[in-house]
Amino acid sequence: MPRLTPYLLVAPLIAFIAVFTYIPIVTSLDLSFREWDFLSPEKPWVGLANYRQLFASHSFWQAVWVTAVFVVISVPIRLGLALAVANLLLRETRGSRILRAALFLPSVTSTVSIAVVFSWVFATDVGLANAALEAVGLPRLRWLQDPTLALAVIIIVNTWKQLGYDIIIYIAGLQAIPTELYDAASVDGGRRFHVFRRVTVPLVMPTTYFLLVVSVIEAFQIFAIVDVMTHGGPAGATNMLVVELYKIGFSLFDIGQGSALAVLLFVLLVALAIFKARVLGRRVHYEA
Amino acid sequence: MLPKLHIAGLAAVAALLTSTAAQAQAQVDVTFWHSFGGKSEEALNTIVERFEATNPDIHIEPEHIGNYEEIVTQLQAAIPAGRGPDAVIMEVTRYGLFADRGVLMDLTPYMDADPLKQNLYPFAQEIGIYNGKNYIVPFNSSTPVTYVNRDIFKRAGFDELPPLTTFAEITAAAKQIQERLGEDGIRGIAAPGQFTRWGLVMGNGSDLVDRTTNEVMLDTPKTIDAYKWMASLVKDEHVASEDNVTDEDSGGEQFLAGKVGIIFNSTGNFGGNYRALGDNLRVLPMPCNDGCSVPIGGAGIGILDSADQEVKDAAYKFISFAASPESNALWFATTGYMPINRLTAEEPVAKEAMAGQPGIDVAIKQLDVAHGRARPPFVTWMRTQEYDLWQAMALGQRDVTEVMTEFADQTRAEAARLSQ
Repeated sequence: MPRLTPYLLVAPLIAFIAVFTYIPIVTSLDLSFREWDFLSPEKPWVGLANYRQLFASHSFWQAVWVTAVFVVISVPIRLGLALAVANLLLRETRGSRILRAALFLPSVTSTVSIAVVFSWVFATDVGLANAALEAVGLPRLRWLQDPTLALAVIIIVNTWKQLGYDIIIYIAGLQAIPTELYDAASVDGGRRFHVFRRVTVPLVMPTTYFLLVVSVIEAFQIFAIVDVMTHGGPAGATNMLVVELYKIGFSLFDIGQGSALAVLLFVLLVALAIFKARVLGRRVHYEA
Repeated sequence: MLPKLHIAGLAAVAALLTSTAAQAQAQVDVTFWHSFGGKSEEALNTIVERFEATNPDIHIEPEHIGNYEEIVTQLQAAIPAGRGPDAVIMEVTRYGLFADRGVLMDLTPYMDADPLKQNLYPFAQEIGIYNGKNYIVPFNSSTPVTYVNRDIFKRAGFDELPPLTTFAEITAAAKQIQERLGEDGIRGIAAPGQFTRWGLVMGNGSDLVDRTTNEVMLDTPKTIDAYKWMASLVKDEHVASEDNVTDEDSGGEQFLAGKVGIIFNSTGNFGGNYRALGDNLRVLPMPCNDGCSVPIGGAGIGILDSADQEVKDAAYKFISFAASPESNALWFATTGYMPINRLTAEEPVAKEAMAGQPGIDVAIKQLDVAHGRARPPFVTWMRTQEYDLWQAMALGQRDVTEVMTEFADQTRAEAARLSQ
């Protein structure tokens, strides 16, 4: 019995993960080779047809491109900004604690609510953003109608939402760096920027690596903000992969093709995780 | 004494429990998914309460799911999981796929045996028929109409309402409003939403899909011309807000806030518009740019084939009650959706609404030129794709002719795929 105890203790969690993660992954893989519209009792096997249709689809490649641009721009901005702000809020003062809490608040606020509020803020005719521009004599911008600006708005809102989480994690990482190293650098006459570059950045690398993995996955899976604010528009300019997946599966009734896209996204994320581990993992030092 | 009291008490409780259990056993529960919020939901709940008062053995459980598209999405997920409702509201162009796949039951035998059928207007009878069988019974039927804010027109220099029949007349009026009141944040017109885009295409002597042959008409010259005009309101004339293009609900919200002079919208919006604008609201027929023709929109109630027989019977009883003159009159007076029953107009509630809410009858007067739209399975696909393409055209990102020609080809391909 004592030998079974550990297995029994983890069994509920294993069952939970199996039901809500592994079984859906396997089911999705199976469905990606079938044609199904959720309604028909039959799910005929169609081999690779769903993948072929996907690769021939203009909107799929547009979604790949838009998502890639979003990831490449938004992740470095998020991490760079979070590290800089975390540095500023590192000292334990009442002000820094209040600011940390304020910055963390969006992370625990409903994404849909945030997206609705920002839709109003960036409305062309009645939005706060344009009112502010006009107040200083600048012309209105077509925030959600201009393809480039719409993507920029999505990046701004997503960064605003996620930044607090990244900052808190970075602060924890920065606090773990031994102060003696900073003292030594100071004795050696290191300037502030050099100390940051030569001491802080390398030693906070495990945190950066963790946040990079998490934020890339999050960025590839962005949905709610886009769905509420732009529905992937204007004219597909913010059509991310998961938005496309939702559209194929739940608006166009093509569960097979939607599952094929889900499988491709899964494979892509795993490949990226392996790539990051190979390229960046070696540069991560877990001890000072 | 005490034991006797105890026994008597226990006996009373047991009797109560037995009767409750028997009642519960006899009662049939019908889950009903719908799309109505606010005042419309209140009116629907009143209809449900009245039905339950006359049918104590049936309990209707109305559940507000979301808009028509959200209902379709939830239904898709619920059906394979065996958690679908017993009855559901379905938009008139979107139920074809569900009928095709055997999800909705054929209501023809019920309808044929129901005296209600004789009293339904022809459009209301036609709207529920797909491939010769009756799958839904209309509940909230509508046509689009033209809503006008009279106060905005006066402030823009129109002592009398100008004619708003042709596209050119509408553009001219919208431009005058925009020129005179644009600085106050007022727009001449709201960019049309998808239902009214379809209506404006029909008002230009064309259609998106031929309603008799199901042939795709997206690339016919008149359809393209209608889209060119609609897009021009946003990208060339700048009399409609670009916000309305990326958020189709925003036009209606701006009209309610008194920030838009003209809007094409469903007659189902009459109640809300009237409450917001009062006597400043004017309702006109849809434009007749090249002949007059308007689409019939709205939704009907269908029953899921997976429901038990007694539930199906109970659900149909409710559907029939909801289409009765009394229920229909209440619904019409509260929301502005068209009467579907010929006897509705005789009801005091309906008479009062016609007398006291000018404009509520415009949609009814349009019925002579109202037509049900084609509803083959590919229409759901077509409507989903249309949003993105409309954005590209209205925001000036792509040429209208090129987009519509390409869209027509894609829709034909999808129709062929779905028919296999």
